[in-house]
Amino acid sequence: MTDGADLLQAHLLDERDWIGATEICRVCRIELTAVVELTDLGVVSPRGYAPEEWQFPATALPRLRTVGRLMRDLGVNASGAALALELLEEQHDLQRRLRRLERLIHE
Amino acid sequence: MEYRDYYKILGVARAATADEVKKSYRRLARKFHPDVSKEKDAEARFKEVQEAYEVLKDPEKRAAYDQLGSNWKSGEQFRPPPNWADGFEFRGGPRGGAGRQGGSGPRGSGYGSEDVFEEDSYSDFFSSLFGGGGSGPFAQQAGTRRRAGRDHHAGIEIDLQEAFAGTTRTLELKRPQVKSDGKLEVEPHTVRVTIPAGVTEGQPIRLAGQGEPGPGGGRAGDLYLEVHIRPDKLFQLEGRDVTLTLPVAPWEAALGGPVKVPTLAGTVEMNIPAGAQSGQKLRLRGRGLPGQQPGDQYVQLKVVLPPANSPEAKAVYEEMRRTLAFDPRVDLER
Repeated sequence: MTDGADLLQAHLLDERDWIGATEICRVCRIELTAVVELTDLGVVSPRGYAPEEWQFPATALPRLRTVGRLMRDLGVNASGAALALELLEEQHDLQRRLRRLERLIHE
Repeated sequence: MEYRDYYKILGVARAATADEVKKSYRRLARKFHPDVSKEKDAEARFKEVQEAYEVLKDPEKRAAYDQLGSNWKSGEQFRPPPNWADGFEFRGGPRGGAGRQGGSGPRGSGYGSEDVFEEDSYSDFFSSLFGGGGSGPFAQQAGTRRRAGRDHHAGIEIDLQEAFAGTTRTLELKRPQVKSDGKLEVEPHTVRVTIPAGVTEGQPIRLAGQGEPGPGGGRAGDLYLEVHIRPDKLFQLEGRDVTLTLPVAPWEAALGGPVKVPTLAGTVEMNIPAGAQSGQKLRLRGRGLPGQQPGDQYVQLKVVLPPANSPEAKAVYEEMRRTLAFDPRVDLER
């Protein structure tokens, strides 16, 4: 089944990997102006001075991609997407805690 | 391939205005967006809605689609008539070439498609009409301008044990290739990916150069995989830490002593301190997911009472009642 297929080594992106502003905009399909706004809103915390030179921890990728999707697909602005992200994360956290409690009850 | 009724998908009449199309898309996108929707088939429905909007929001694509006629029904076998799109000014693939590139993301294979879910994909119907797979008249022509290829994204599901030990997945990538006539055509390409040990929930993985090839000889895009770890029967995962609920007998909790404990790396022996209580958490340092700072395993004790279902067992409980003078509700007294 896998004979002859290339074997690729995946690179795990973690907090030690930093991604430049241009790349993060490309990967998350998001405009730099939106990234600046999201930074002001505290969604991501880049290092560096000028936005074009900002560096983002790779762990910010999933959050920025979610925000990018919400902005593109639902037509919401950066503030709305940031609020939705915060609520979604809170919801996921509560669901996880609920699952844990339910498991404890049933065990 | 099956015909898709984009008007029906968006729930609008064929005579709907652009504003009505947009309003309907917004409503359905909010309902089925995979990030926010609770509907069980949200992802598939959202893709349908998005594909329909991709066509109906663009006057040119909509006009080309409309000229196929209104007699087709959703699901009916369909083949585009020859030269069906003659007279239209072709402007590139989906989203005018500025957005996602359909039909060229990874698909799961070998391990089953439920392991890998493609984020960017259009139906064969869409691809045959408008490209995105490269064969339709709206398909992007092989670029003369050199530019970097687009990145592709996909999610991948693995078990906790695979996250702990690392794993290999087989992906079938669909890569556009430039043919001799200058058009792009999608060709399948199978790769095996080694996912290193210690990957965490939601962690991104980059496969350099495995995205879209760069038109005009530009740099190929990257393939990003986002890992999702399936819930485990024994362990609950939080970050790199895992928690296991360990049932113990009352005398094991009261008297302490060694017990066997499952960990991700196999069974180990752990010492329970005397006087342990149900719900108490003990830590096995470094027994969580590996990493620069490995996670820990927490062992939450759960005291399980033996049933008093024999004269001997009842006698033991009677003896405890007489001897221990134990009141578990003493803290409730005011």
